[in-house]
Amino acid sequence: MVERRGGGRSAPAGLVALGIVVAAIIVLPVVITVVQAITGDWQEATDALTGSGVLGLVRNTALIAAAVVPICGILGVAAAWFVERTRLPGRRIWALLLVAPITIPLFVTSYAWATLSPSFQGFLGGVCITASSYYPIVYLLTSASLRGMDPALEESARSLGCGTWRVFHRVVLPQLRPALLGGLLLVALDTLVEYDAFVGIHYPVFANTMSSLYRVSFSSSGAALLSAASALPCVVLLVVEARVRGNADYTRVSHGSRRQAVRYELGRGRIPLMVAMVGLIGAGVGVPVWTLIEWSLQRSPQALSGAPAGIADLVPASITSVLLCAAAGLVAIALALPVAVIATRYRGWMATLLERSTYMSFALPDLVGAAALGYFALHVAPFLYENIALLVIAYAILFAPMALVGLRVTLGQIEPSLDEAARSLGLGGLRSFGRVTLPLARPGLAAAGVLVFAFALGDLSSAQVLLPPGVTTLGTQFWADSSTVAFAAAAPFAAVMLALSFVATYVLMSRFGKVRGVGGI
Amino acid sequence: MADLRCDAVAKHFHEHRVLTDIDLTVPHGTLTAVLGASGSGKTTLLRLIMGFAHADSGRILLGGDVVSDASGVHVKPEARAIGYVAQEGALFPHLSVGENVGFGLPRSERRSSHRITEVLQLVGMGASEHRHPHEISGGEQRRVALARALAPHPKMVLLDEPFSGLDAGLRVETREAVLAALTEEETTSLLVTHDQGEAMSLGREVAVLRHGCLAQTATPDVLYHAPVDVDVARFVGDAVVLPGNRTAGAVECVLGTLRVTGHGDDGAVLVMIRPEQIGMLRRGVGSDALVTGCTYFGPNTMVKLTLDHEEATYLLSARAFSHEAPRVGERVHLVVSGSVITYPAEV
Repeated sequence: MVERRGGGRSAPAGLVALGIVVAAIIVLPVVITVVQAITGDWQEATDALTGSGVLGLVRNTALIAAAVVPICGILGVAAAWFVERTRLPGRRIWALLLVAPITIPLFVTSYAWATLSPSFQGFLGGVCITASSYYPIVYLLTSASLRGMDPALEESARSLGCGTWRVFHRVVLPQLRPALLGGLLLVALDTLVEYDAFVGIHYPVFANTMSSLYRVSFSSSGAALLSAASALPCVVLLVVEARVRGNADYTRVSHGSRRQAVRYELGRGRIPLMVAMVGLIGAGVGVPVWTLIEWSLQRSPQALSGAPAGIADLVPASITSVLLCAAAGLVAIALALPVAVIATRYRGWMATLLERSTYMSFALPDLVGAAALGYFALHVAPFLYENIALLVIAYAILFAPMALVGLRVTLGQIEPSLDEAARSLGLGGLRSFGRVTLPLARPGLAAAGVLVFAFALGDLSSAQVLLPPGVTTLGTQFWADSSTVAFAAAAPFAAVMLALSFVATYVLMSRFGKVRGVGGI
Repeated sequence: MADLRCDAVAKHFHEHRVLTDIDLTVPHGTLTAVLGASGSGKTTLLRLIMGFAHADSGRILLGGDVVSDASGVHVKPEARAIGYVAQEGALFPHLSVGENVGFGLPRSERRSSHRITEVLQLVGMGASEHRHPHEISGGEQRRVALARALAPHPKMVLLDEPFSGLDAGLRVETREAVLAALTEEETTSLLVTHDQGEAMSLGREVAVLRHGCLAQTATPDVLYHAPVDVDVARFVGDAVVLPGNRTAGAVECVLGTLRVTGHGDDGAVLVMIRPEQIGMLRRGVGSDALVTGCTYFGPNTMVKLTLDHEEATYLLSARAFSHEAPRVGERVHLVVSGSVITYPAEV
C-alpha cells in the first residue's frame, strides 16, 4: 500500500493515519461545496448555468491558463539555467530578483498593471500579471533540481560530442522533467482558480464571477454547482501529471563527490541576456514598485481624501497581517509535513493519493473555499465562526501545496540512510524523525513557512469572507482604498506589503531546498 | 587513436597551486595510470585534458594538435573527442543501457546500431541493452560507461577512478573486462587512481602525482624497484629503509653487505629494501632478529621484526609466504636477496 522507496518497509500506520487526516482537512471545502451543489435548489442552479455566460468564463480562464503555463515553463527554466549554468555576473542578486515576484501580492501587481496603461485591461494584462508572478514557481523548482544534478552527467554528454544546446535538450531537460512538471502543475492549478490577479483589470474569468455570486449569498447552490464543476479540471490535471511523470524519480544513480557543475562562458551573449532578464524582472518587480512610487506622489484630492482607510490604520493592519500570515505558515507546515514525508520516503497508491489530494486546495477559487469553511463553521463548529483562527486554518489549507513544495525539495535531499543509521542506534521512527530528519530539514521548513506567509499576505478573497468584523489587514485596507481609486492612500499599505515580500524573498532564497550542514544545493 | 602530450601544464586556484609543470606523454594505443593520493591534483589534471577547466600555462596536445595552450587556444570539451568514464559511471538515468551507449553516435546510428551491440559485447554486457542503469550492478554500470565512451571512436579515453566503490571480487572482474576492451580497441587511455595495485597492474606506465607535481613516470617495474626517492618508494609499496654506508657497488648496513643497483654517491646513505626481499631462516647465518608481530594476508604474511645491533634497535618488516612464516616470539636470521637501492642520507 505505502511502500518505502527502493523497496523495504511500509509507512508506519500512524503516519498514514496522520496523512489521511490532513487529506481530509484539505478536501473538506471541496466536499462541502459539492454537498451544497447537490442539495441545493436545482432550478436556481440551472438558471445560473444558463444565465451567467458560463461558457465564456470557462473559455477566458482556459485561454489564460493555456497562455500562462507554457510562458512560465519557458521563462522559469531559461532563467534557472542561465543563473545555474553560465558565468552570469552577480548571480545571487539575479536569483533574488527573479524569485521576488512570487512573494508580491497579486492584487497589488494587478492594480499596478491596470494603472500602467489601459492596454493592459483584458487578456494581455491578465497574461502579463499571471505569468510574471507565477514563473518563479518553475524557477525555484528547476533551479533546485539543476543544483542537485550530478555534474558528471553533463560532462559525459559533452565528452561524447554534444554542444551546449544538445546537452540541455538531451540530458538536462529530461532530468528536469519531474521538477518542471511539478512547477507547471502548480502554475496551471493556481491560474485556473486565480481571482486576485484579475481584480484590477476587466477580464471576466471563472473565479471572479464565482466570487461575486458568492458575495451575494453564502450558499448559493448555483454558484456551488459551478464551483464544484471547476474542481474537475483540477482533478484531471492531477491525474494527467501523475501519469506523465510516472515513476520517474531521477535522483542520482551515483553518489560520487558533489562538485560544482561547469558553467558556460556567455561571451558577447551576456548583454542581450542581461537586457532580457532586466525586462523579466521589470515586469515582475519593476511594475509594482514603479506604480507604487507613482501613487505615492499623487496629490489630487481624489487620490487622498475620502479614502476609506487612512494612515492611522497602517500599524494595526500591519500587525494583524504579520501575525495572521505567520500563524498560517506554521499551521500549513504542520499540515504538509506528514504528506511531505510520505511523498518523499514511500511509494504506492496510498502515498500517491495522499500527495495528490493536497493539491485539491487549488480545486476551488480561494473565495469559494473560504466560504465553504465559513459555512462549515456556522453549522458545525460555531466557536470558529467569525473567529480569526478560522482564517488561519483557511490559509493553511489553501496554501498547503506551497508548503508541500518547499518541504519536499529539502526532504528529498536527505539520504534515507541517515534515518536508518538513527534507527540502528536504537531510536524509534518518531524520535529519529525528531532528532535527525527534522533538524536537517530546518531550512526547508523555513522556506515552506515563508512561501505560505507570502501567499497569505497576498490573499484578498478569503479575508473578505472570513475576517471577523472590525479586524483589518494590509490587504483589505489596500483594496478598500484602491477600489475607490484613492491610490495615494492605498500606497503605504502596498509599500509595507512589498517590504515584507522582499524580506520573505530573502529568507526563501537562502533556505529553499537546503539541508542543514550541507554546503547547499 | 592518438597520443596525448602535456607540456609544462600548470593550474592554480586563487593562491593555491594545484598542478605545477606537468610533463606527460601517453603513447598511441597505451594506457598510462596517474597515481596520486586524494588532493594530489589528479581530478584537476583530467578536467584540464577534458577541457572542463583552463590551464594557466603550458600546452596540451592530442594527436599532435594543440587543444589547449596559455595563448588562448581552447578546444571545447565536446569538440575534443575524448571519451570520459566518470567516477561512478554517470549513466543517464532516463535512458536504457543501449540508449546510453548510443548517446554519442550520429542520430542514424543511435537506435540498435551495429556499433552499440559491438561495444556492449566488447565489455561483456551484450545481453543488457534494454535494461536501465538502476537495474544493473555497480560493476556493470562502469562497463557500460566505458562502452558509451568507446562507441563514437574517441581519440582517447580518460578513466576517473573507474573501479572505486566496487568490492574486491567485482573489482578484479571489472578491471579485466575494461583492460580487455581497451586493448581490443587499441585505445590511448589515461586512468587516474589512488590504488597502487590498480595503477601498476593496468598501466604500461605509471605517473606518480604528488602535491601537484609528477614525481616519477616509469614502467611499473622500474617504479617499484627504483623509485626516485624514499617518499615514492613508500607510496608505491611497503619499504624498509635503513641507514648504511655505500662503497663501489655495495652497501653495508645491519643486514650485512648488499648488492646495489642504480647511481648514487658513496658514503652515508639510506638503503631501501622491499619486505619480500628479506628472507627469514630458522637456522644459519645472517642478522639475528625477533618476531614481534604477524599480519596475515592470505597467500603471504607481513612479519614485524626487531633487530638489536650495536646498542641500537631497528624495526623491520619482511614478507613471507604464509605457509613458511615464522611465529611471534621466534628468533630468525635475516638474508636479503636481490639488489637494493640507496638514497642520499638526510642531513
